[in-house]
Amino acid sequence: MSRSKKILLVVAVLLALVGAARLNSQSYAAEDKFLVGWIYIGHVGDAGWTYAHDLGRQYVEQQLPWVESIYVEAVPETSDAERMMTELARKGCKIIFATSFGYMDYVQNVARRFPNVLFEHCSGFKTADNAATYFGRIYEPRYLSGIVAGSMTKSNVIGYVAAFPIPEVVRGINAFTLGVRSVNPNAKVKVVWTNTWYDPATEKEAAKAALDAGADVIAQHQDTPAPMQAAAERGKLGVSYNSVMTQFAPDTIVTGPIWNWGPYYVERIKAAKEGTWKTGDYWGGMADGIVDLAPFGPMVPENVKKLVEAKKADIVAGKFHPFTGPINDNTGKLRVPEGTIMTDAELLSFDWFVEGVEGTLPN
Amino acid sequence: MKLVFEKRDPVPMSYRVVSPVLAVLLAFLLGTVFLTASGFSPMKVYAAMFSGAFGDWYGISETIVTAIPLMLCGLAVALSAKMLLWNVGAEGQFHMGAWGAAAVALSMPDAPAWQVLPLMVLAGVAAGAAWALLAAVPRAFVGVSETITTLMLNYVAIYWIEYLVHGPWRDPKSLNFPLSAPFSDAARLPMFGYTRIHWGLIFAIVAAIAIDLALGRTKWGYEVKIIGESPRAARYAGMSIERNIIITMAISGALAGLAGMAEVSAIAGRMTRQLSPGYGYSAIIVAWLGKLNPYGVLLVSILFGGLLVGGYSAQFLGVSAASVNMLQGLMLFCVLATEALGRYKVRLVPTGAKGASQGGHGEGEAEANG
Amino acid sequence: MGTADYAVEIRNVTKRFPGVIASNGVNFAVRRGEIHALLGENGAGKSTLMNMLTGLIRPDSGDILIDGKKVALRSPADAISLGIGMVHQHFRLVETFTVAENITLGMPTPRFRLDMDPIEQEVQEFSAKFGLEVNPKARIWQLSVGEQQRVEIIKMLYRGVNVLILDEPTAVLTPMEVKELFQVMRRMAASGKTLIFISHKLDEVMEISDRVTVLRAGKDVFTAETASTTKRELASKMVGRELKPPPPRPRGTFGAPVLELEGLQALGDRGEVALKGLSLSVLAGEIHGIAGVAGNGQRELAECITGLRKTLAGRVVINGKDYTNRHPRAIIEAGVSHIPEDRLGMGLAANLPLTENAIMKNYREDEMGPGAVIDRKRATQWTRDLVSRFQVKAPTLRTPVRLLSGGNSQKLLLARETTHDHNVVVAVHPTRGLDVGATEAVHQVLLAQRSAGIGILLISEDLEELLSLCDRISVIFEGRIVGSVERENVDIDEIGMMMAGIDPAGEGAGPVEAGV
Repeated sequence: MSRSKKILLVVAVLLALVGAARLNSQSYAAEDKFLVGWIYIGHVGDAGWTYAHDLGRQYVEQQLPWVESIYVEAVPETSDAERMMTELARKGCKIIFATSFGYMDYVQNVARRFPNVLFEHCSGFKTADNAATYFGRIYEPRYLSGIVAGSMTKSNVIGYVAAFPIPEVVRGINAFTLGVRSVNPNAKVKVVWTNTWYDPATEKEAAKAALDAGADVIAQHQDTPAPMQAAAERGKLGVSYNSVMTQFAPDTIVTGPIWNWGPYYVERIKAAKEGTWKTGDYWGGMADGIVDLAPFGPMVPENVKKLVEAKKADIVAGKFHPFTGPINDNTGKLRVPEGTIMTDAELLSFDWFVEGVEGTLPN
Repeated sequence: MKLVFEKRDPVPMSYRVVSPVLAVLLAFLLGTVFLTASGFSPMKVYAAMFSGAFGDWYGISETIVTAIPLMLCGLAVALSAKMLLWNVGAEGQFHMGAWGAAAVALSMPDAPAWQVLPLMVLAGVAAGAAWALLAAVPRAFVGVSETITTLMLNYVAIYWIEYLVHGPWRDPKSLNFPLSAPFSDAARLPMFGYTRIHWGLIFAIVAAIAIDLALGRTKWGYEVKIIGESPRAARYAGMSIERNIIITMAISGALAGLAGMAEVSAIAGRMTRQLSPGYGYSAIIVAWLGKLNPYGVLLVSILFGGLLVGGYSAQFLGVSAASVNMLQGLMLFCVLATEALGRYKVRLVPTGAKGASQGGHGEGEAEANG
Repeated sequence: MGTADYAVEIRNVTKRFPGVIASNGVNFAVRRGEIHALLGENGAGKSTLMNMLTGLIRPDSGDILIDGKKVALRSPADAISLGIGMVHQHFRLVETFTVAENITLGMPTPRFRLDMDPIEQEVQEFSAKFGLEVNPKARIWQLSVGEQQRVEIIKMLYRGVNVLILDEPTAVLTPMEVKELFQVMRRMAASGKTLIFISHKLDEVMEISDRVTVLRAGKDVFTAETASTTKRELASKMVGRELKPPPPRPRGTFGAPVLELEGLQALGDRGEVALKGLSLSVLAGEIHGIAGVAGNGQRELAECITGLRKTLAGRVVINGKDYTNRHPRAIIEAGVSHIPEDRLGMGLAANLPLTENAIMKNYREDEMGPGAVIDRKRATQWTRDLVSRFQVKAPTLRTPVRLLSGGNSQKLLLARETTHDHNVVVAVHPTRGLDVGATEAVHQVLLAQRSAGIGILLISEDLEELLSLCDRISVIFEGRIVGSVERENVDIDEIGMMMAGIDPAGEGAGPVEAGV
């Protein structure tokens, strides 16, 4: 680079600095508003994970007129995440929701630096005085969706397109499989890993691979409706995830576990405003309404609906826990004795498959 | 009438000054059309981007934090490109460097900083260099295109990291999440003051100075220069092209590896799947825009870092991440296009008149060779 | 108006390039339906003449007549519309396209939609008519060199060409393919096409042409019916009788051999055998000239000596030690300087400044800086010395050498090659393309080197240069030295014939080495 070009660039940068510094000094929120920030891993239009969180954010705006919300999307779990949370805090956010597991260490870093700002980290396990974690027992509706899939499969092979072999996903696969086998002990769940949360093309390919292997129902732990579309193209059935995906494949989707973050967000923001917010590690289930089951598709028979509704009532009432022994792992070894319920600690570090799952886990 | 492209030789000084200004103006112009069409106020968006990246000390510090891996990877790409070697594998070398450093940090959790940090640097540099050598050796001795091998090795490196954090390196205390155990505090590269600017910046600056001196003042640098300009002349002058390919690629890989070491040690503090949002690939553009000059690379890294950092700030105005990416792409495209076009003069000429002048050129050669 | 018997007539045409007169009042006429050979050494003006005929360049003065009418050719398209086409030595085909696609490429019609069937049909017809067998659906990369040449010929015929210029068409062919080409040429001539056959292989000219014209130094010096002339006559016309025998000069003091080559064999760039057991030696204090028509192994010879090309068999001995296939650096360190044919492509790094180029051979030594370091001050001083001693004219030492004139860049190269430690100089065409002043400067340097006891191998096509400088001249033909004469008993005729591949001992006998 020539010397004059360098000088030119330096001058341009300095000018920009001076001009921009003044722009930046003004406060972001209107005086009387309570500013709340969200940081998303994906795009708000992904129809999946981030979309579900953003529905929660919109719910907050609707319910709490004194809240002003801001968000940043598509923030990778790198150095960028720490900066964007810092930016949100600096803009005056009183509470910040970090909605991806990989933000964990960065949440802790920023929380240390902004002791007066509250942080909520979704799906992580590190807390601080001003940083809580929250998550939902999505395995409950997953178990129920497994009942539907197990009742409706004809080939007794169900494909499961899954992102990464982490406890959250493994837990979901296991709950689903237990649901399947509760009504159909001969059915098998074939897992196909994609190594990505968000990649329509890869997810679709993975679903096709499962279909090619004989699956006639596709379940997913992915953030786009692509696996559902793959099933639709072959005229097979699907169990969606994250949000109500019916519009993407109306004749395909039987049901699916969904997130309902709104009420939790409203409650926590209210607490923050009123000064009653306390740190903690929230893990709510269907009883709290943070997780639920999407409406049944038209192809689901009445008797199946009834069975699922009954199980749901039991779960909500605390009469039934999906991970109640006896549970064998997929080598046939008894892992959970008759009558024992797995502890939360065990569920949170799941690293084995239950009987009926065909797939591998890295060791 | 037809369009004729004539090569400017040499590119006039005036154009070299005007071209970046022109590029930026063009980018802003196109961006304005795009933003207005999407219903945003372009001036506000630009102001937000600038202020996000350079608007205050925090923004500047974060821009530099983003620029550090770009600097080291950019230097890596630039150095090899000096010899016409296309190292598109900085991303993989970055990951391997992070791996080497993490291996040291995890295996000596109780060692003091003065022991563990130098070893981490050493391991990161060695791992990055070794990864580059996997491509350099076949290139030097069999002529296998390093562009393809370095690119393929990126995937291998990234999957290797994935395997480790899902498998052997997984921290049982992290509830089986794909994370290694956190490094000890001693294994964290120090940061400056309250910012996240870390020692990687010093590494990058020292590396740039060293490269500049080595290229300009040493016999090795001289050989690199000649080989880059004319491999035939270099061979004629008795230089070993094979040896220089090996050396240059090893240093290139070492620099990218150092970037990975700095990032994992200073920023991440443990091995994770997501260390880089593609620094190694952005580095190719950085090296190119920096004209392969070490100081140019440093400067362009900061501007590029600013573009990345500022992009997020535009989101606060409601511009979607996708639109921001599009805007960033537009700016880079304009800069690159102006750069390339700057070497040509474009003229409209009547059809038929061009034969004579071109023929005159070809003739001299035809006569000499025929 | 011209004579209508001639398909092509060139009258008194002159073309100047900076520093050179490429065509100096040339007259050249080709009868309709004949095969007319155009003979001449490199630089005699053949290419210039043909480029004017095909519209690539325009003459400064003189006329071109086609079918008796004066024409102004502005572009190859003009030439083709008048029925003149050329098949170049280096084919202009798109490797991944089919034969038929290549043939239609660049044609004005059809513009958008391409229906290949009728084109393939037509190609087939041409093939049958002239014996140009080639599959129109084949892709170029699948074809042999001979077949690719046929595609080039068909391409021209398809464009309706009546006058076909073939630029050294046999250079790339095997003997079998040459035979086939000649059959095709005869058929085309028989069907009324006019062919201009450019070559410097006398055997082929004698075999195929009806008439022959010899060009020398930009002038037509001889035209005759082929049947009425002999190879011997043609050879002497090519080389020229005006050359005077070298002026006598005191015999130098020669020392021991500094460079000995024994039975060198090597391949050329296209994989052909370029050196076929070449042997020679250069004594200290001697200028040993290598005369020969370009393409007979000169470049390969220089590259084998300097380690840039692999020697398949034979030995390269420098100062009594075997350096066969050693690294170029070892050979440089053994004391061999090299002034390569491709000045800007090999001898200099064209985009780099004078300084970087000036230190290319001695940058490793301590005089340019201790250990691993290059001392820029010393490098600059060194360059400044060379530039002033050899009177290289350059705006600054930082100017890229590509911006220097040919003479000045050659002087810089020569300065570098003759200033560091060495006792052998291999110079290839050191004055090609230079003006008179620069040529003289180069000659002075070479003579000074000789006086200093350096052994010089001077490879040149310029016989005059060789005669004036050399103590001994050897002639290279088809990768071998076919004869050697001392300065004192030079017979120019004899050299000319050896260059043309004629054994001077046997009157009119075939080439010195028949066949391969």
